[in-house]
Parts: sequence; C-alpha cells; structure tokens
Amino acid sequence: MASEKQLSREDFDRIAELQGITGEPAYLDELFAQARGVFMMAETIKGIDVTGVEPEMAFIPPTD
Amino acid sequence: MDTLEICYMSAGDLSKLVKSKEISPVEIIDAHLTRIEATEPVLNSFITLLADESRKAAKQAEKDIQAGRYKGPLHGIPVGLKDLYNTGGVRTTSGSKIFDNFIPDEDCTVAAKFQQAGAILLGKLNMHQFAYGPTGENPDYGHMHNPWNPEMITGGSSGGSGSAAAAGQCTITTGSDTGGSIRIPAALCGIVGLKPTYGLVSRWGLTALSWSLDHPGPMVRTVEDAAITMNVIAGHDPKDVASAKVDIPDYTTALTGDVRGLRIGMPKEYFEAPLDPQVRKAVLDAISVLESMGAVVKEVSFPMFNQSQAISSTVLMAEASAFHRDLLEQDGHQLYEPVRQRLEAGLFITAADYLRAQQARTILDQEGRRLLDEVDLLAGPTEPIVAPEIMAPRVLAGEQEIGVVGALTQYTRPYNINGFPAISVPCGFSDTGLPIGLQLAGKPFDELTVLRAAHAYEQATDWHTRRPPL
Repeated sequence: MASEKQLSREDFDRIAELQGITGEPAYLDELFAQARGVFMMAETIKGIDVTGVEPEMAFIPPTD
Repeated sequence: MDTLEICYMSAGDLSKLVKSKEISPVEIIDAHLTRIEATEPVLNSFITLLADESRKAAKQAEKDIQAGRYKGPLHGIPVGLKDLYNTGGVRTTSGSKIFDNFIPDEDCTVAAKFQQAGAILLGKLNMHQFAYGPTGENPDYGHMHNPWNPEMITGGSSGGSGSAAAAGQCTITTGSDTGGSIRIPAALCGIVGLKPTYGLVSRWGLTALSWSLDHPGPMVRTVEDAAITMNVIAGHDPKDVASAKVDIPDYTTALTGDVRGLRIGMPKEYFEAPLDPQVRKAVLDAISVLESMGAVVKEVSFPMFNQSQAISSTVLMAEASAFHRDLLEQDGHQLYEPVRQRLEAGLFITAADYLRAQQARTILDQEGRRLLDEVDLLAGPTEPIVAPEIMAPRVLAGEQEIGVVGALTQYTRPYNINGFPAISVPCGFSDTGLPIGLQLAGKPFDELTVLRAAHAYEQATDWHTRRPPL
C-alpha cells in the first residue's frame, strides 16, 4: 500500500472506512497527518538496503 | 532518624539497618506514607496507594525479621509498580479509566518476585495512558509533575515511577521501556533507570504496548539499588515466550568502582543530532570523568542511529495497534485522543512495511554488535533536552525546534530496537535546576559492565545525592 506518492486524503478516507475509523472532522484531519507520517516512515525505510537480510524474529528468545 | 532521611536512603543502605534490626519496616513504611501525604498533591505519582495494606505487610515483615526469617536486601523495603504490572487483588488500570475496576487474579511474574523477596508494595504508579507516550500526561488520573519543577513533565511513560523515586516517595520503583519509557523519566527526574537486555526480565502479566520492544526494569535513586533489584527480578520465565535462558549473575558484583581499561565509544551521530548545549556539556564532562578514571574513550560511528525513529515507530505502532485492536473498536472513544490517534495511525502500516522495518532492525542490531566488538559501552545523552513544560507540543533542542515525542525518544529508541541493556544515570543539572542524564549502553546480557561504569561514575560525583526542592 505504501507508495512513492504521498497518501492522498481520498485514500486515507477509504482506508479509514475499511478500518472502521470514525471521528469528528478535526480528529480525522489530525489522524490524516499522522497517517501521512506513517507513509513517510515507510518511504524512509524503503531507502535502506535490506538485500539478503532477514527480519529480526522477535519471538526467538535471545541466548547470547 | 527523621522521615526525610529514611525516605532518601537507598535500599542498599536501608537493608543493612533492617537486617541489623536498627530500623523496622513499620518505621520505613510510615515515613514513606508521611512523605507521600505531603508531596502527592503536587506530584500525582500514584494511581492506587496501598496505605493500610503496606502498613499491615510492614508489621508482618517486622515480625518475620525479628524471628530471624530475613529474606534479603529487599525485605521490608517499599516498592511501587508502574500501573501496568498486574497485581493480584489490586487494581491495575494501565493508566486508563477503561480499566479503573480491573483487578487481576494474580501477580505478574515481577510482582511475585518482589513479594517473595519480602518487598512491601506501597502502591501502583501513574503512567502515560497504556504506556503510549513519552511525556507523562494522563487525562484520566491526572498528569504527573516533575519534583524538580512541578510545571514540567516527568517524562514517560513511567512518569509516576520517576517522580516517586526522585521525591523520596518510594525506595524502589519499576517501569517499562518500549521507546524510552524507563530512561526518559529517569533522566528528566534525576534518577537511575535501567532498561535491561530484552528478555532478561519477564514481561508476563504486564500490559503490552509492543511485544518485541517492551522491557520491564528498575527505576531507583542509585546504581546499587538497580543491581539489587535486578538480582530479584531478572531470570528466565517460561510464561514469557521471549524470556531469555541465560545465567543470572549477582549484579552487585559489578559495583567495584573500577573502569580502568573500559572502552567507551561516543557515537558521533549523537552529537550531530539536535541537542541542548547545556546537556551536551554535562554529558561530555561526564564522559571525561570516566576517562579520568581510566576508561579509554573514542569517537565511533553509528549510522543506523539516524534510521532508528522510522524503524522503531513502524514496529511499535504496528504492534501496539495489533495488541489494542479490540480496545480500539470497543472503547476507542474513551481513549486519550493522542493515544487513540497513535493506535489508529498504526492501522495504516502494511505487513510488508512492518517486515521491512524488521529487516532494517536486523541491520541496526548488527551495526550495534559490530560497534560493541570495538568498544565495551556506547555513551551519550539520554535526552537531548531537560524537562519541558507539561503539554508543550514542541521543544527547542539546541537551535532546532522539534516535536516533543521525537525529541524525548531520540537517543533511547535504538536500544529498544536492538534490545541492548541501557542505563540512564544523573550527570548534572541545567541552569534552571533540571536534571540531565547520561546514557550508557552495552552488549546484550552484559548488564555487569553497564552497571560497573554507571556506578563508578555515580560514586565519583554527587549528582545522586541532590534532592528536589519539595
């Protein structure tokens, strides 16, 4: 879902509806800004070269 | 011994007097309850105070000790638990009125360990709602207030633990640290906060925020007390799927004062980030003290530090939203609006983005491990600022104005991502009288080195002896 484009308000409204998110307009405006931040973070991480790297497996207990 | 003197004694010192029967747990608890009564209207550290229960427990502890049944250094010592640690028969709110009447059937593992050690539960400590914030705001139970200046934040999310320890309301407190929530209030309130290695202290029976980033740990006034507490609470717990199976040392053996030959790395990226000049000076001076004691200090590079906010936020937000999905659907309208927004924003993170963040997390982890082959510890500021005003949305860090959440978690998040042990220890004050913290981080499961360096620094300075003007 994360794309090189910014999250549009239309896309935000659609995803919010699918996720069951409701609220007053001011609340949704602020949430839209935060959701855009989430997409920006995804873009930042897309810029990291993770070739050949496996995800950190959180639930394997460390045994160092 | 007067009330205030008892309340500011460390567990290490109090325990000697308790063991030799020079002081009774009854006297200790009475002193703390008096102190709480005097300071709580200002600080708001507690959600639930167990005055009658703790007095009763103190009488029993006194009886046991008089009969020769001394359990160890925490016997008869008051402990306060962040209010997301389940306590059997005692309400556990997670900082939200949604759980105002939630009474767990049994203790979490950490609470049970304290009980077995003979510690006396004084109460449940105030916190940012559901631990989902670094400032210590709570609209349901009241915001927490910094003992050094009550108009300023304690930091969070373990804000009540920070203020209670700093103000002498409780000898031992605990927090939980997902993006900095032990170390942030420790630094801003001028106490010691240890985030242990991930998996070292059981998460079982704590309300989760982010499964792979949550770390329970002690918040206390001295490094010795952190070591004593770790001796009680660390260790494998089969009930926690991420619990580490490692040998647990006696952490008090770290308290030698000797840092000769210890290799300390200062990531240059830390000092290139937004940073208050007074904090910079205090932290550099602190590292110089360690160098004067024989540590070998050098600059290192930690490039993945600059990606830590994005990695941490993606993982944390996705996991928090997953954990609280039902709560959001059923009771979202009752949540503190910023917490609700963070939880709902997390629903926009895709599985692919979460997993890519976990891949990037591996790279950050590997980079940290390579650094800790070159050096024994990484040192830097815990916080780039001192405590800002309550509800301030932005802060000035050096010459840059930045969001308060990003500022407060700037230096703490990397060690949640990689799970390395990291401690905050007081290293000075601003010209406005607000505390500054030094952060030391070490190799996984090398709490001994982290504690050794922190203790040596602490004992070479007097910051830990200062008291807030309350």
